[in-house]
Order: sequence, then structure tokens, then C-alpha cells
Amino acid sequence: MRDKTEYMVVEFSKAIFLYGIVALSLIGLGLFSFITLEHEGHWLTGMNNQVVWGLPHVFAIFLIIAASGILNIASISSVFNIKIYKPLGRLSALLAICLLTGGLIVLVLDLGRPDRLVVAMTTFNFKSIFAWNIFLYSGFMAVIAIYLWMMFEARYNKFIGKVGAFAFAWRVTLTTGTGSIFAFLVAKEAYGALSAPLFIALSLLMGTAIFYKILFWMDRGLGVPLGAEIISRFRKLLIYFIFTVLYITVLAHLTSLYITKNHDFEFFLLFSENIYTFLFWVGQIGLGTIIPLVILYNKKLSKSAFGILLASILVILGGFIMLYIIIISGQAYPLDLFPGYNESSTFYDGAISAYTPSIYEVMLGLGGVGISAAIYIFAIMVLDFTPKNLGDEYTLGKEYKEKLIQNED
Amino acid sequence: MYKRISLKILVTFSLVFFSGASITHENMQHNIDKSSGEKCVEPTDVMRAQHHIFLNQQSHDTVVKGIRTKKYSLNNCINCHIKPLADGTYPSVKSEEHFCSGCHIAAAAQVECFDCHASKPFNKVVKKVGVLEK
Amino acid sequence: MKKYELKLNRRNFLKNSAMLGVSTIAPGVFFQELAYGRALDEPASPKIRWGMLINTNQCTDECDACVTACNEEHGIEDFGRPTTDTQWIRKITLTEELSKKSISVPMMCQHCENPPCVDVCPTGASFIRDDGIVLVNKHTCIGCRYCMMSCPYKARSFVHENLENQLPHTPRGKGCVESCNLCVHKIDNGENNTACAEACQKDGHQAILFGDLNDEESDISKQLKKYATKEVRSDLGLNTAVRYRGI
Repeated sequence: MRDKTEYMVVEFSKAIFLYGIVALSLIGLGLFSFITLEHEGHWLTGMNNQVVWGLPHVFAIFLIIAASGILNIASISSVFNIKIYKPLGRLSALLAICLLTGGLIVLVLDLGRPDRLVVAMTTFNFKSIFAWNIFLYSGFMAVIAIYLWMMFEARYNKFIGKVGAFAFAWRVTLTTGTGSIFAFLVAKEAYGALSAPLFIALSLLMGTAIFYKILFWMDRGLGVPLGAEIISRFRKLLIYFIFTVLYITVLAHLTSLYITKNHDFEFFLLFSENIYTFLFWVGQIGLGTIIPLVILYNKKLSKSAFGILLASILVILGGFIMLYIIIISGQAYPLDLFPGYNESSTFYDGAISAYTPSIYEVMLGLGGVGISAAIYIFAIMVLDFTPKNLGDEYTLGKEYKEKLIQNED
Repeated sequence: MYKRISLKILVTFSLVFFSGASITHENMQHNIDKSSGEKCVEPTDVMRAQHHIFLNQQSHDTVVKGIRTKKYSLNNCINCHIKPLADGTYPSVKSEEHFCSGCHIAAAAQVECFDCHASKPFNKVVKKVGVLEK
Repeated sequence: MKKYELKLNRRNFLKNSAMLGVSTIAPGVFFQELAYGRALDEPASPKIRWGMLINTNQCTDECDACVTACNEEHGIEDFGRPTTDTQWIRKITLTEELSKKSISVPMMCQHCENPPCVDVCPTGASFIRDDGIVLVNKHTCIGCRYCMMSCPYKARSFVHENLENQLPHTPRGKGCVESCNLCVHKIDNGENNTACAEACQKDGHQAILFGDLNDEESDISKQLKKYATKEVRSDLGLNTAVRYRGI
């Protein structure tokens, strides 16, 4: 099935210029932070021997699972054969590469010894999920490259289905691998086997929301008209994925609340007077779940491009906060070495660790976002990823004329 | 036009790639204090070319297997090669007066050994080269 | 004529058997300590499993001789930043919830037989040596801190700053993860004891006993058989080499 959509190479314009400047500034911040940390050491950050992974890892994992989820848009057309999403396939694959690169770079730059990246790429302990992730991430890049090739080359369009299915399987494995980083920690009460499907659900939600943001920017900044059909489709996708994430979150917490052993941790997370409880109810549930759902079901807002944009932004914020809670609270809560005893020591045993992200960590994370943005801008100006028109008459094709006739009646 | 461009590329490439030729291993200063008495671990040209290979293999043997032979031990190198300066202090590894840095700074080939390893013998009595008395 | 003539009589038989017997047993008596003194080119032996027995009944809250000794032995500096400063061994004060009884417990890397830190290390830098010591190969460590996340005992520390005065027998540096290595440099050089155990013995508390768990005749094995001992977080099935009395 040849792809009959018309694509274009984006010309340099004011919107591109602004976007590019922002991206480059973020990269500059990230570079500055990296060089300082590399020179001085991690004592400048808020991360310590208790909370070993902090904001950079939240950014990195956010970008990585968003990358996996954003490819879902291409999968919907290739694997599930819903033709309306076909024009979006190239962008979806491109954005997956951009986000993954940004995330991986933040991860690598935060290493204690990033100069040993070559060691990490050549010496492997295959019992470690981290080692498998290195293959999953780099392999994902190759798979997407081939997927893009199938999409660009008209005579290979017939292979999109098979390659798309392979990419789908790969990204489910990749997201499972990322979730398993946490699921495989034997001693932490906060994480369990549900981490993997939770990450998959979150990836789908984040990917959809970020993709919509880009579509909105394309409409206002690049002049690619966005039709009501696509807006409506994205509205539905957001609703489905919000509910999926909510379901798994509720399931995980309810199960944990049943287990008396986990009560202390669950109460610490959900019903205490600390930052995590606040972030959970106000951030993840309020801003990230309830308000977006209200917007998406509101008669007026749910039909406007701006309304969906608002919901997308809130969902992204909520997802980021959710990852922050998952990663940080699990570390801030002390390990229970001696059940039945209260512990205290000079190494913060038994104490809830405070974690305040330093400015260096914020800059490093933003640097990763900047890299993703910069690669995207560069790519759309070099190759024709961007569809010319996403209005209803182009996406719906025959059905558009039928709809017009229907409306007239 | 293509000839001019390829000539430029060739010249740039050569300048970048072969600029290190002026600092070859043969020209390096050999800052060893021969008063330690013991003979060299290996002939000088062998050490110049392969000291990193010996150290690498030794690092694996020592850390993973617990083999602590003295011949290629980094501490042994330090005890012999790092002598105090005139004022009694030891040269910092960041200065060219340090035996290892003397060549490595000149060749701009950074080594990460001294990020972790002691770059000077410590104030323990050295009974004989390579043996630190506790 | 034969060079060696066997004088087959009862006297010689008794003399020779006695000599044979003595020469068999004597090395066990006289050279027992040297039996562990490995030659420098001999690798660590899988026949040995180094471990510790800590008797918390002998520990008090005020004493931290083991911590001080460890810091001195390995050149661990105090940068005045307790959240990021390295601690290889620490004293945990336990208070029982019901009775409020307080116990002081030295805690360090437990040198598990099935270490989670070894499982999760992506490069294999965290590894278990043949003689049971769990180490970080700092040549391969990339500083990802995943092992720190996975350790049930929070035994590992990350070096957050540039270090300058490392001791020759304990290389340590910025960006790598480290933890108690059972004073592996002392063991490899034949002094089969750790700094913390030595300091505790010198102080007169006798709380920390170091030895070979695989040797049935060692002090530690005998004490493990004699007294009731506990493995911290035994529910995880890690089979630690460090065992405790009094908790």
C-alpha cells in the first residue's frame, strides 16, 4: 500500500529559529552542568549515598519511555492499520529517535565515569537488566532506522506492516526492560513486578501527549493545518491511556495496602506530610489525571485544539511527577534491615532521606530535552518527515466527502 | 576544483594525524632515579611500548584473582620511579616532574590511573623496593 | 648390593612409623598459621570463604573503634558532608519497638554468596572473588550506582569528589562505587585479619571475629557452631558471610 500522503521539507522560519534557539540554550545549560560535575564530582548535586538516582534519572527515564511510547502513533497505522494515522508515521519514528537520544545522553553524562562508556559498551554482565537495556536501546535505534527506511522508500511501503510489528514488539520489550530496572531490586519495598506494565502504560500516555504538542506547534508555527478528526482521535487516545495508567497505579497501591508489611511505606507515600504525598495527590492525580479528564470530557474544550493541548501539557507534567515519585520516594524511604526494630546511624539508617535537586541536575536534564529538540529541528529541515496538511479532507479522504454530505443533511 | 579540495583535505588530515610524530617515544625524557639499585623491570624500549599492557594485565590479575606479584605492580613502579623533590615533597601527578606525567603530559595522552591510585610512595619505610613495611 | 638396605625388624618399624606419624602431624601444629600465607603469585582460593562473626553483646553505642580503624586503614577522609561521605562500616543503633532495649550493631558489606549487587552491575565490575570477598573492580566501574540501589544493606558508597591522598594499598577515586573489602590487601599479604577486627581486639571488646568459614577448625567456625547466630535479612536468601550474635 503506497503511502499517498504529501510530505515536505520544512523551510527555515521564525518558528524554527525560536525553537532552535531554545533547544541550543538548553543544550548549553546541559553542557555547562556536565563539565562542572565531571570536574568537581557529584557532591555538587543533591544526589548522595542515600538517594543515588535523582532528577537526571527522572529526566532520562521520562525521555526514554516517552520515546518508546511516541512510536505507538506509527504502530497504530502500521500494525493496527488505522489509516488516519498514516501521515504521522514518519514523525512518530523520528521523534522516537530524538527522545531516546536525549534520554540516553542524560543517563550517560550522569555516570560517575562517563569516560568509561566504551567499557560499558564492550564489557557486559548478562545477568544485569542494565546490560540488556544497552542492547535494547541501541537496537531500537537500528529498528527505527529500518522502519523509517520502509516508510520513506515507496517501493518498500509494503513491508511497513511487518517491520512495524517488529518495532512494536521491540519497544514493549524495551519499556519492560526499563521498568525492570526497578522491578528487579530485591530489597526495595516500593517496586514490584507491576513496574514494567506501569511503565508501558505511562509510555503510551507520554508519547501521545508529546506527539500532540508537536502537532499543535506544527499547526501554529509551521502552518500544517490540524483537522478536527485528528484532534478527536488524540483526545480519545489520551483518555484511554490516562485510564490505563490510573488503573495500574490503583492496582499497585491497593495491593500494597493489603500487605501489612508494606503499610509503613504506603502511608509514607500516600498519607504523610511530605513532598511525595503532596506531589502524588496534587501532581499525579490532580494535575495529571483529574483535570485533564475534565478538560477532555468538557463539551467545548474537548473539541478545540488548544483544549487538547492543555490536557496534553498537564498529562506530561503529571507523568513527570509520577516518575519523580516512583524513582525518588523508593530511595528516600529507608531500608528495613531489622524488622521490629527502629534504626538510627551516621549513615542515615532508619531515616527518611531528604532529597533536593540541585540546579546542576535540572540543567543536565534540560540539556537532554534540548538535544531531543535540536535533533528534531535538524531532521525536519533535511528530510521530508512533515506532512503538508493534516486537515480532515486529507486525512479522511473519501470519508470526508461523505461526512460533509451527512452534515448537510 | 575537486583536486584542490581533496588536496586541502589531505593536508589537514596529515597535519592532524601526524602532528604527534614530533613527540615520539624515542624523544621522551626518562626521569628515573637510577640510585634505587635494582635493574629495570624490562628493557627501556619494551617498557616504553608496553608498560600499559603489563599494568592492564596486572590490574586484572590483582583485582580479580588476588595475584600480587611485584614485577608489574603499580605500587612497585611508584616506589622506584617517584623520588622526592629537592625540598622533600613528592611531585604532584599533575606536574611534569612526576615520572609518569613527564611523558604523558607531553604526549597529551591522559591516564586515569591516579584518579584512584596513589601517585607517590607513602610515608612507610621501604625495606626493599616493592615491599612496604606496615 | 642395594644402596638402601631395609632392616626389617620391629625396632626399625616402630621408629619409622613414629617418625612418619610425627612428620605428618607436626606441620599441622607448627605451620597452621602459615597455611593461609599465600604466595604472591598464588590466586585467591575457592577453598576458603572469608567471613566475620560480630557479637553485638560486646558492642556499645559509644565505641566506634571499628569505624575509626577502617577509615584510617583505607585513607577515608571526612569532608564534613555526611550525606555524601563514604562509610564502609557504620554502627547502627537498634531500639526494639516494644521493650525499647537498645543494641549497637556494626554494619558493613555482608559479602553475600548471592549478592544482588553482582547481579545488577552492567559491566560486571561488582564481582565475588573466589574466596568469597565481594569487590568492586574499579577499573571497570562506570559509576552508574545501580549496585547501590540494589544492596539490601546499603553497604556501598559512591565517591562524590576528587580524592588526592589515597593510600597505596587501597586505590579509590571519584566516580566509582566502593564498599568494605574485608581488608583484602591484608589478606593477600598474609595478615589474615581485618582492620576493624584488629582494632576491636586491641580495644578489648572482642566483638568482631574474622576467619575462614570453610575451615572447620577456625575460631569463627567453632563459634558459629557453639552460639546461636543470625544473618541479617535472611529472608532474602543471600547467604551472607557476616553473621551476628546478640540480635
